[in-house]
Amino acid sequence: MTISNKTKAFLGSSIVPLLLVIVWQYVASSGYVASFILPSPNQIIKTFVTNFVEKEYALHIAASLKRVLIGFLIGTVSGFSFGLLMGLSRTAEKIFGPFFNVIRQVPIIGFIPLIIMWFGVTELPRIIIITVAAFYPVTLNTFAGIRNVPKEYFELSSVYGYKGLKLIRRIVIPAALPSITTGITLALGMSWAMLMAAELFIQTYFGIGTRIQLGRDKFNMALVIVGIITVGALGFFMTTIVEQLAKALDRGKIIRKET
Amino acid sequence: MDIIVAKDVRKKFKLKHGQQVKNNGIVSNEIDALGGFDLNIKKGEFLVLVGPSGSGKSVFLDIVGGLSTPTSGVVYLDDKPVDAPSEKTGYVFQQYALFPWRTALSNIEFGLESRGVVKEERVKIARELLSLFGLSDFEDRYPYQLSGGMQQRVAIARALATKPEVLLMDEPFAALDAQTREILQNELIRIWEGTDTTVIFVTHSIDEAVFLADRVAVVTARPGKIKEIIEIDLPRPRHGDIRSCSAFAANRHKVWGALKAEVNKAQQDWKHAPVNSK
Ligand SMILES: Nc1ncnc2c1ncn2[C@@H]1O[C@H](COP(=O)(O)OP(=O)(O)OP(=O)(O)O)[C@@H](O)[C@H]1O
Ligand SMILES: [Mg+2]
Repeated sequence: MTISNKTKAFLGSSIVPLLLVIVWQYVASSGYVASFILPSPNQIIKTFVTNFVEKEYALHIAASLKRVLIGFLIGTVSGFSFGLLMGLSRTAEKIFGPFFNVIRQVPIIGFIPLIIMWFGVTELPRIIIITVAAFYPVTLNTFAGIRNVPKEYFELSSVYGYKGLKLIRRIVIPAALPSITTGITLALGMSWAMLMAAELFIQTYFGIGTRIQLGRDKFNMALVIVGIITVGALGFFMTTIVEQLAKALDRGKIIRKET
Repeated sequence: MDIIVAKDVRKKFKLKHGQQVKNNGIVSNEIDALGGFDLNIKKGEFLVLVGPSGSGKSVFLDIVGGLSTPTSGVVYLDDKPVDAPSEKTGYVFQQYALFPWRTALSNIEFGLESRGVVKEERVKIARELLSLFGLSDFEDRYPYQLSGGMQQRVAIARALATKPEVLLMDEPFAALDAQTREILQNELIRIWEGTDTTVIFVTHSIDEAVFLADRVAVVTARPGKIKEIIEIDLPRPRHGDIRSCSAFAANRHKVWGALKAEVNKAQQDWKHAPVNSK
């Protein structure tokens, strides 16, 4: 029987993680490295299980998820609006463009001390960081998507009397959609990355980052690694959902032209 | 009766800072695209524009379509000066410009939607056009699922859907292979002969021009104006085999005779174009 392409792809993509686990198990059990520095995969699984049976870990995950989702949503919506504005109006681009392009060169982490000064060690600065992280890629890609709409589409629109909101909804956004969804997918990744910064730099009781920090403080690397895996898995899971959504929206297969 | 009258249409483009061009030997940072374009087009006529590359054919079409305004001169459409896109005009582009997120059927409906035609009526019109082009089985396909020839058929159908009085076609078949191109020429002429639409069609192919046209207007090298208009005295309805008759060759010869000098001139123009140092 033939193996389906999906199965093949899955098997193919499992090679690297599998090898990694084997080498890791070997190194960890060889005794060259202290187990608190590199716990064996075995220990990790145990920690995983104990973590996931306690209710508290769910609370940590929920706190992180909430942060990411709120920041990601606000960042995406505002980034989309801002990108749309700059994409549609040369005047808006002239006014905001240069400032935006300078400020986005500063790594978001650089703003953390300021944000803490202004908003204190509260939930708000954490969400702000994630929002900003999501804001940049959505703005940039929405803007680029709109500027790359073929001029023929605008000519056709004016020939057939599409103007204003109708033009934006029926032509501009659908044509820019592939680029916009790329921006949103990137934004989600950035949100997860910045979640860690937000939780590690701005102390909090709940969050996966908090757990990672706890592990570090207790020299419990298993806890750290479980945190890392949790973040990775959740991020991967959410990104997959967004990608699938983007594909479903893209009925004309603009995104996957090459496949 | 003339549906389109172009009177001394001129168009200059300002070039970007530092760019230069020679207009009749004088270096300038403005480019003369059209230099006194006069043309009368009869209602229901199939007029083909031929001319060297860069002679302003597309610019002229844009002005007729109201997508661009002339620097001086006027184009009248039904005795009214064109200053904005008109409902009476349809447009077909070289690169099809179909909307990839719409099916063939819904691409054809596009122009009707903004004119308040109800869904039922839109679908009926679109289906009729699809069947006219032999694409009935493809109504639910997206552009990426259609060949180039099919895409251009859909694009033509989209332009015809609003029953334009004037159809502007800018090298619509240039991206197609030779065979598909002839097939589409045959289809276009068959469908057009059943309408009273006026067509302005731009092409670089003399064969295509002679096969389709009532009259072929030869445009001079830039700045573009009409050099000569050649009546094509081939009978209608025209069929594909007309291409091999001797009258066809004679017409071909006439068009090429008028065009040759202009093409050479345009090439000289490019050779002597000032090179931008920066
Ligand atoms: N927006 C513009 N800005 C500056 N120059 C332009 C612009 N549009 C056209 N031109 C110039 O005007 C001249 C005529 O252009 P046009 O596109 O009408 O030529 P064409 O006859 O359609 O050529 P082709 O057969 O290659 O399509 C060209 O020299 C071109 O460089
Ligand atoms: Mg052209």
